[in-house]
Amino acid sequence: MPKKVQLKYEWNWAYRIEHWVHVASMIILVFTGFYIHWPFCLAKCPYCDFNRFLHFVSMYTLIIGLAIRVYMAFFSRFYADWKDFSIIQNIKGAPEMVAYYTFLKGEHKEYRKYNPLQAFTYLSWAGLIIIQALTGLALYTGDVFGLFSSQSAFGWINRLLGGEGFTRILHFLIMWYFIITAVVHVYMSLLQTLVKRDRTFQSMFTGYKLSSATGKKR
Amino acid sequence: MRKEYGLAARDLVDTLRYSSIKRRDFLRFCGVTAGLLGLSEAYIPKIAHAIEKGTKRPPVVWLNFASDTGCTESLIKATYPNAADLVLDILSVDYNETIMAAAGQQVEEILQKSLKDGNYILVIEGGIPTKHGYGMIAGKDMMDIAKEFAPKAIAILAVGSCATHGGVPAANPNPSAIKGVSAVLGDAYKGKIVNLDLCPVNVEVLVAVIVNYLLFKKLPELDVYGRPKTFYGQLIHDNCERRAHFDAGRFVERFGTEEEALGYCLYKMGCKGPMTYAPCPKILYNDRISWCIKAGAPCIGCGEQGWTDKFAGFYERLPDVSIPGFKGVEFTADKIGLAAGVATAVGIAAHAIASSKRIKKGGEE
Ligand code: SF4
Ligand code: SF4
Repeated sequence: MPKKVQLKYEWNWAYRIEHWVHVASMIILVFTGFYIHWPFCLAKCPYCDFNRFLHFVSMYTLIIGLAIRVYMAFFSRFYADWKDFSIIQNIKGAPEMVAYYTFLKGEHKEYRKYNPLQAFTYLSWAGLIIIQALTGLALYTGDVFGLFSSQSAFGWINRLLGGEGFTRILHFLIMWYFIITAVVHVYMSLLQTLVKRDRTFQSMFTGYKLSSATGKKR
Repeated sequence: MRKEYGLAARDLVDTLRYSSIKRRDFLRFCGVTAGLLGLSEAYIPKIAHAIEKGTKRPPVVWLNFASDTGCTESLIKATYPNAADLVLDILSVDYNETIMAAAGQQVEEILQKSLKDGNYILVIEGGIPTKHGYGMIAGKDMMDIAKEFAPKAIAILAVGSCATHGGVPAANPNPSAIKGVSAVLGDAYKGKIVNLDLCPVNVEVLVAVIVNYLLFKKLPELDVYGRPKTFYGQLIHDNCERRAHFDAGRFVERFGTEEEALGYCLYKMGCKGPMTYAPCPKILYNDRISWCIKAGAPCIGCGEQGWTDKFAGFYERLPDVSIPGFKGVEFTADKIGLAAGVATAVGIAAHAIASSKRIKKGGEE
């Protein structure tokens, strides 16, 4: 029996722009970050200082982007989604989702926007962006937004962690967390699109998703 | 000779006559020191006066603990004019086991006299074993000696990495449980201990701190590690003479190559300059002739607390990470990242294959 499907406006322009700004700055950050970790181009090609400049600019973008995203979570007139990140709700829902993804269960509950595993991942991204910003600023010797000395404001982080070397390692390992979860994120959205045929993947471009009217709503 | 020189309180005129320090050299030294302390030229005569005040100079008691005496070596090899005379006489080092001529009973007498008189500047070189019997001088534990001398000192200078936090002798596995001066003496001495990291200590920094004390009767402003901010406030990387090469992406990839001969940046050879706050690029070593990076070696971060363990391997970009609970198992951050990345790729591939049934079903609906 064919289900009744309808187009649903899932993401407004603000959410979509915000998403792609994050994607762009993350990609630049990871690329330039690897370069800073191990400058792989030789004398003839790009410049370390320009590379670092890009890294810093992208991080500023990401920090501002996160601030806007948090604002949207509470005050978006399109859809303020802060309730979807309720930790207690999501802990309750998580086992079912894990069972679904490990093929122990054939179906799972439908969620408004994010299933519990998604919610946790996005929440961890928000937290880790903040930690990346802090560790990054602790390694930075310039002025934050040109206003105050980064070292005097964030130098304590290096001391807390045992020195610049350890701050650097933490910063580096958290980057790997972002890479891994981002890859999983893309895979999951593709999987969802293929399994449910609901245009999840496309919705981040177009804003529209197919929604089955019979789907249970939480 | 030295005994006759160092012990008696004599005025500078004598000192100069005996030790062939020329007045001009002496003033030049004062000028350099003024520069180090960030003082204007007007201070040069004041510095000269402070040093020349003769008997009123506080004596310096220099205690040697667990170290390789490199800091003493640095002290007697550096600074014009005629370093040995300047440092021994002008700074009035009353006691220094390594370079004093006296021995045995005589030495103990000198030491006890200094202790009785008090008001000395206590310089400690070397780490302090905190286990009984692991480091003793004249039958006394080094730790007890340090605690005996600390209370009567007007200032305590921990010179060199060993004294500031343990340094090389405290490196893993550290069987004698060596600690730095601040850790042994405890919080009570906070603000009284000046930590002069670096291995060995930069003697110009040491002299500058002492002169600063003679001049202003107080210690310089210290950072959270108890180091003078003036000297330990800036990153080596930000003052490095090879920084232009770093910015332009010109790196030494291997020793013995053309890049090395051209003096390119040593970042990829494990240079810890971007993590180390120390005055090396500005003040240099050996009468300002050279310093590690100028000499072609990457900085190994000896100016930072927690060196050496924290910065091993010295020629690696990032120190190794040991996984808590697995002793001796060490990974580089790169390997951890790569392993996690590969695991993810494998996991996703497996999951995608397992999901093919669901995908097919989705297509049929
Ligand atoms: S040699 Fe070391 S301190 Fe100098 S620019 Fe290169 S990385 Fe920085
Ligand atoms: S350049 Fe680095 S290794 Fe050399 S003395 Fe300075 S802090 Fe130590």
